[in-house]
Amino acid sequence: MAETTNNSGQLQVRLVTPDRVLLDATADAVELPSASGYLEALYGHAPLLAELGAGEVRLHGGTSGDKKFFVAWGFVEVLPERVTILAETALPPSDIDVAAAQQELQQGQKMWSEAGDDAHKYDEANAVTREAEALIASAEGKAV
Amino acid sequence: MANVLDLRRRIRSVKNTRQITKAMKMVSASKLRRAQDRTMRARPYAEMLSNVLESLVRRTDLYNNETGEIIHPLLVEREEKNVLLIVIAGDKGFAGGFNSNIGKAAQKFITERTGKGQNVDLEPVGKKAIGFYKKRFPAANYEKTEEHYDNDLSTHYETIRHRAQQIEVAAEHLDLLLKADFGAVAEIARDIIARYERSEIDAVYIVYNEFKSVIQQRIVVEKLLPIRKLGSHEITASEEMTDEQREAAVKAAASEGISTHASEDKEAEEEAKKFGTADVDYIFDQSPEEIFRNLMPRYVTTQIFHALLESVAAEHAARMTATDAATKNAGDLIDSLSLTMNRVRQAAITKEIIEIVSGAAAL
Repeated sequence: MAETTNNSGQLQVRLVTPDRVLLDATADAVELPSASGYLEALYGHAPLLAELGAGEVRLHGGTSGDKKFFVAWGFVEVLPERVTILAETALPPSDIDVAAAQQELQQGQKMWSEAGDDAHKYDEANAVTREAEALIASAEGKAV
Repeated sequence: MANVLDLRRRIRSVKNTRQITKAMKMVSASKLRRAQDRTMRARPYAEMLSNVLESLVRRTDLYNNETGEIIHPLLVEREEKNVLLIVIAGDKGFAGGFNSNIGKAAQKFITERTGKGQNVDLEPVGKKAIGFYKKRFPAANYEKTEEHYDNDLSTHYETIRHRAQQIEVAAEHLDLLLKADFGAVAEIARDIIARYERSEIDAVYIVYNEFKSVIQQRIVVEKLLPIRKLGSHEITASEEMTDEQREAAVKAAASEGISTHASEDKEAEEEAKKFGTADVDYIFDQSPEEIFRNLMPRYVTTQIFHALLESVAAEHAARMTATDAATKNAGDLIDSLSLTMNRVRQAAITKEIIEIVSGAAAL
């Protein structure tokens, strides 16, 4: 892999899902929805491992233009010249089924109100709600 | 001796059968190609995930410093009193010994475990397995309890399992094979993990047909939980193909132009191996322990997903081989029937000639 490293200050970005390698491209910068907030990786970033929450992965200034992907849960490895994203679900915002997301949102809210005093259930409900909200936001192009 | 008309009819019928099996073979071959492709494309994710886990293991303490407890419930080993067996078979028949071989391997496991006095839960995947086990064993009985506290302000839910028999069907998954959707597998894995965590089951095994290539297949019983070594498949029993089966498979594959070698995307694989394992000090956005905790269930999911994809490929391969053999048999039968038919026809003609000649001679 070291041979393919370019010196143009471009990151090699790969987005891998359980089904296939969804994207293999270059970019100047990548925005990542880490579980603890958005972060952006540029060329030469220090090695980093992070868990991704629900949100958008955004590629800027690549050879193939800007790209956006919604990812639900994932994991990222950032190396100085390479970013590899493992995502359980990843899809372009245009493919999001908003109606289904709305339904999921309601489901999440229902779970929350039924969770009783089980902390686990609250976490689960919150995760569902967050994912649905992120989905809707991404579809409407309003993701933070 | 049968007459010519009957034989001709018989030949026509066998020809029709041959046509059908030939078509089925072609369909299976193209499905196999797709399934193989899918299995291959799914490999990088699985590989990367287990690599990250491995490298995390090296960086984290698996045991709590103070209490000495294992930090993740999926690593805890308990005495195996209740075991779960996931059986992955096919949705349809006409696949040679595919379904029955899986059934045999599962049966062996069940007999062995129940012989040791262990309780066995079954979780069949695929119509054939579901139909088989549902008829024989009762479904598991779950009770959801609700406890109310503080004047109904808070409720506590719990799931209790009432076991009536030594062998029960814990869950069944009907339409899983058709699409082999990762999300659906994740749900199943979540459910299994929940059962494991509340000690309803002490170990999880999966029996399926491993598929490396058309000639590299075997039925394996693999231990899924507890996880003892990351990134490796812990196989407790396996049954290789016989030479005869292999030969038939090679023939069938060759006629459809399918490679008998394990398909590999070297470059992608090489890269996948490096994921998360670079010899550098990573910054961890979350603590390694936390990442580790959240990754573990996903690891189990990919293992099941992987087994599912391989089993689907194996099913198509088995069907291709079986229908190839059927086509060949039909061809042989047609040949032998044609020979008989021609003989009968010849005999009739000869008889007629003799009759005419001897009639003429008598004049």
